[in-house]
Amino acid sequence: MTYYEKKPEKKFFEKELEDYRESVWGCARCNWCQNQWGWNVKSAEFSEICPAFHEYRIFPYSGMGKMHIARAIIEGDFDYEDAPEVVKFLYTCTTCGACEINCQRLQDKEPLQVNEALRARFVRDGAGPMPEHKNLIKSVKNYDNPWMQPRTQRDRWARKLPIKDVSKEKAETLFFVGCTSAFDNTQWHVAQNTAKLLLKGGVDLGMLGKDEICCGSPVARIGDRETFMNLALRNIELLNKSGVKEIVAFCPGCFRAITHDYKEIPKAEQIKATVYHSSQYIDKLIQEGKLKISGKLKMRVTWHDPCHLGRHLGIYDAPRRILQAIPGIELVEMERIKDQSWCCGGGGGVRTAFMDFAQKTAVKRLQEAHKTGAQAIVTACPFCEQNLGDALSKMDNGMELYDLTDLLIKVLDIE
Amino acid sequence: MDTSKQKVIQKKLPREVYNALKNVVGEQWIYEQRSVVETYSKLSIEGFSFIKKHQKDPHVLPACVVLPVSTEETQAIVRICNRYHIPFIPFTNGQVFCNPTTPDPTLIIHLSRMNKIVRIDVDNMNATVQAYVDYGQLQAETMKRGLWNGGSPLATSLCKMGSQFAFAGLWQTDLKYGLLNRNIISVKMVLPDGEILTTGSRCIPKAGDFWEYGPGPDLLGLQRSGIGTNGIVTEITLKLHTWVGDEAIPEVPGGRPSLSDVHDPKYDSPAAPLKNHKLYWVEYKDLAAQINAMIEIAHSGIAIGLNATGVYSAYYCSQTQDMTVERCKNKFFPAYNCYVILANITSDKQIEYEEKVLQQIIKEHGGTFLSESYKPDVLEALKPWNHDCIRHSTGYRMNRKMYANAWLPQGPFENAFKTSREWKKALELFGEVDITDRGGADDTPFIYALQRGHFCFFETDNYPDPTLPEEIMKAAGYGIYGAATFIKHDMGPMLMAFLNAEPFTTMFPEAGPNAHLFMRKVRKVFDPNSVASPGRQVFTEEEWQQFPGEIKAVVNKMRALQGMKAVE
Repeated sequence: MTYYEKKPEKKFFEKELEDYRESVWGCARCNWCQNQWGWNVKSAEFSEICPAFHEYRIFPYSGMGKMHIARAIIEGDFDYEDAPEVVKFLYTCTTCGACEINCQRLQDKEPLQVNEALRARFVRDGAGPMPEHKNLIKSVKNYDNPWMQPRTQRDRWARKLPIKDVSKEKAETLFFVGCTSAFDNTQWHVAQNTAKLLLKGGVDLGMLGKDEICCGSPVARIGDRETFMNLALRNIELLNKSGVKEIVAFCPGCFRAITHDYKEIPKAEQIKATVYHSSQYIDKLIQEGKLKISGKLKMRVTWHDPCHLGRHLGIYDAPRRILQAIPGIELVEMERIKDQSWCCGGGGGVRTAFMDFAQKTAVKRLQEAHKTGAQAIVTACPFCEQNLGDALSKMDNGMELYDLTDLLIKVLDIE
Repeated sequence: MDTSKQKVIQKKLPREVYNALKNVVGEQWIYEQRSVVETYSKLSIEGFSFIKKHQKDPHVLPACVVLPVSTEETQAIVRICNRYHIPFIPFTNGQVFCNPTTPDPTLIIHLSRMNKIVRIDVDNMNATVQAYVDYGQLQAETMKRGLWNGGSPLATSLCKMGSQFAFAGLWQTDLKYGLLNRNIISVKMVLPDGEILTTGSRCIPKAGDFWEYGPGPDLLGLQRSGIGTNGIVTEITLKLHTWVGDEAIPEVPGGRPSLSDVHDPKYDSPAAPLKNHKLYWVEYKDLAAQINAMIEIAHSGIAIGLNATGVYSAYYCSQTQDMTVERCKNKFFPAYNCYVILANITSDKQIEYEEKVLQQIIKEHGGTFLSESYKPDVLEALKPWNHDCIRHSTGYRMNRKMYANAWLPQGPFENAFKTSREWKKALELFGEVDITDRGGADDTPFIYALQRGHFCFFETDNYPDPTLPEEIMKAAGYGIYGAATFIKHDMGPMLMAFLNAEPFTTMFPEAGPNAHLFMRKVRKVFDPNSVASPGRQVFTEEEWQQFPGEIKAVVNKMRALQGMKAVE
């Protein structure tokens, strides 16, 4: 085994807080969980990387703080009942992974995993999550989606689109739509755009329709492992049974769950199909000449890396290649990008429980975007779009917000 | 007694005090919740804080954390502490060498809201920053203007200016630019009794903030390396120097990692050194050849940085903890090496000249440049230093379980021999811990050449498993033994205020001699109520009497090993 191969160890979803004991004792307080890498710092204004520490300025909100809280809990120095405030510290984390990537790289430790293990412990013992999250979990359990929407409404976005129902007929490629794009009608455009682009590229496209269920990502991030694993096992069975060769997910949360989290469930069967994010798949269609860009769009834009897509799964280049393939588009980068990107503020259940803080984080991102001189910020995540969109609507800086597919639709001959 | 499930009970401030503090900063910026104070209790490199955590000692838990936003708020907090006799400790990251609390309910004054660059004066080449500004922020803003603060201690974000001022501020280009403390023009600070002290020419109306001298006695020297005992620095004006590189540091050519591939070495191979900078690695046959070559390089007037890295190369240049350990054990990096940073501050001709001088010196001392034809794998592995020695680029990695105790004597180059000889004795005496720096025994200590080589630091460390109290105790023994060794063998004080930190100040009265008695007088003048970082730099007589007998006994044991009388 080389240094670079991970040690054989327990799967993430079977790890207990105590499994991180050595790691949490070894926190070096180096602060890289709160700051950009030195070489990436372009200005003092945008030098920090942890939204929660940036806002609240005390350590429990940072990755480092979670390591110390975890140590104290592991060692029995205090109980949850002595410290009811901890739940807020745990759930103001957007799970953006900035602390994790810097700490993994620099100290070989894992503060985000520790925070997720803390959340799981709190949920298991009834000390968490936040009350707002309980409604979300209830909705997922009752309706198979976090939006308290009836299952029958799940495929409304797809009316009139020639997408196969894989429960009735075979298809090569399955579009895993995700709950937010399926139920939030302000997000339908993204699901519709994605489907139209795939169809235009000649893809034999199917979907689960009303049978699609939540990927489990929201409950996994909140720390309800039991509900997550139930959903994941159902999804693995459903997706494998569909017989598709490829799965395309648009939502980075779904994409991470299917490609990464399902593998971290002990003894679970694996997804047989190859899983793509829509930006990867569309980029492939463009490279292969199956999607031919005919129009032009004169626009200066900047790309916001969704955390689950970029930092978590390493998809930085595909969306940028797509933008650069559109004639007339000028892509200008923000100071904090890719692995050092600043979160939109909406992830990890923060938007559900701490809307004001989520919005402040989004404002900070939009200020950074505005500094580039771009007229629009482009992304590819329903949660980023919701959170940045709400913040943008209250700002008066003339910027626009687009999903990546919005721009592509404009330059392809698609109705 | 099995303490494994024993809760640790936190002390609280009197309500009157809490309310007074709340009135200063507002409810949002004062915390006494149990979990908050926990995150200010175990420090990263202070062995005794680990031991005390293992022992469930309640004294390491602060009572309260307060976050002022300005000098004036800090002053108001300090005045409250004086009024009610509440000990306070200023705090940035907590990567310090001293206990964060006292046996009494202690207030932590966390400076994290004081993170603004106040101004950058390009014409006069200086910058004024608040205490929580870090090197990364300052460098980013000054490099855009063709200036920099002279170097980086690698951990650009770790090192906040306030704590660097309190602990000397060591960095990789000290050969030319000196310690941070040598680059201070003025400070604004809140003294332990609540007065505001401003030093330097900024005190003279319309004079400007350009010179370290002002009206009245020069108090700056008393505050440098004061480890917080004589006040809380809130604003610092630093000298800036000419920067000859680009505005920004280039990206790692391998691209950007994600969480799933973060340990892939391709993300860890930086480009060549920065524009107008050159980095040379040299290997020597033994420590004597290395030291003699370094003395000549330092005194020749070339280069902006000169350091021997020893075991640190394994820490900085390895992707994982396992890789670090294996490289240490297998001695992957040359035992006797140094790196030299050249920069063409004035012209291209300058670097040409410096290269010639360097090659001549290395040849005379039998050194070998690491190159494409000589140990290319080692040279490749050392590449993270290409940028890290100028500004943190790939990682201030510790990749070690716990940085337990350091020997950091300072003195002339020749002291490196003394340090290595004594460190070897310590290894024989105490045995090894999880990772032991064998610097000096069969490896080089980390040598930082300062001030054109007139002065150096010699660092040797060890790294126990933080979950094993007995290992930490063993490691702590090295540090205490080290203090006795420096005094006994006249190896100079430990500059980063180590030997000015208790219990060493009082337990080594040979230093000075009796420096502790003088420092007590100074403390009494500045801190009549003994509330500022008590027991950190020097004990009062009362604090000394209350100091735990078992730690006194450990220090006296180490004194005895050096043939020194016990201190009672």
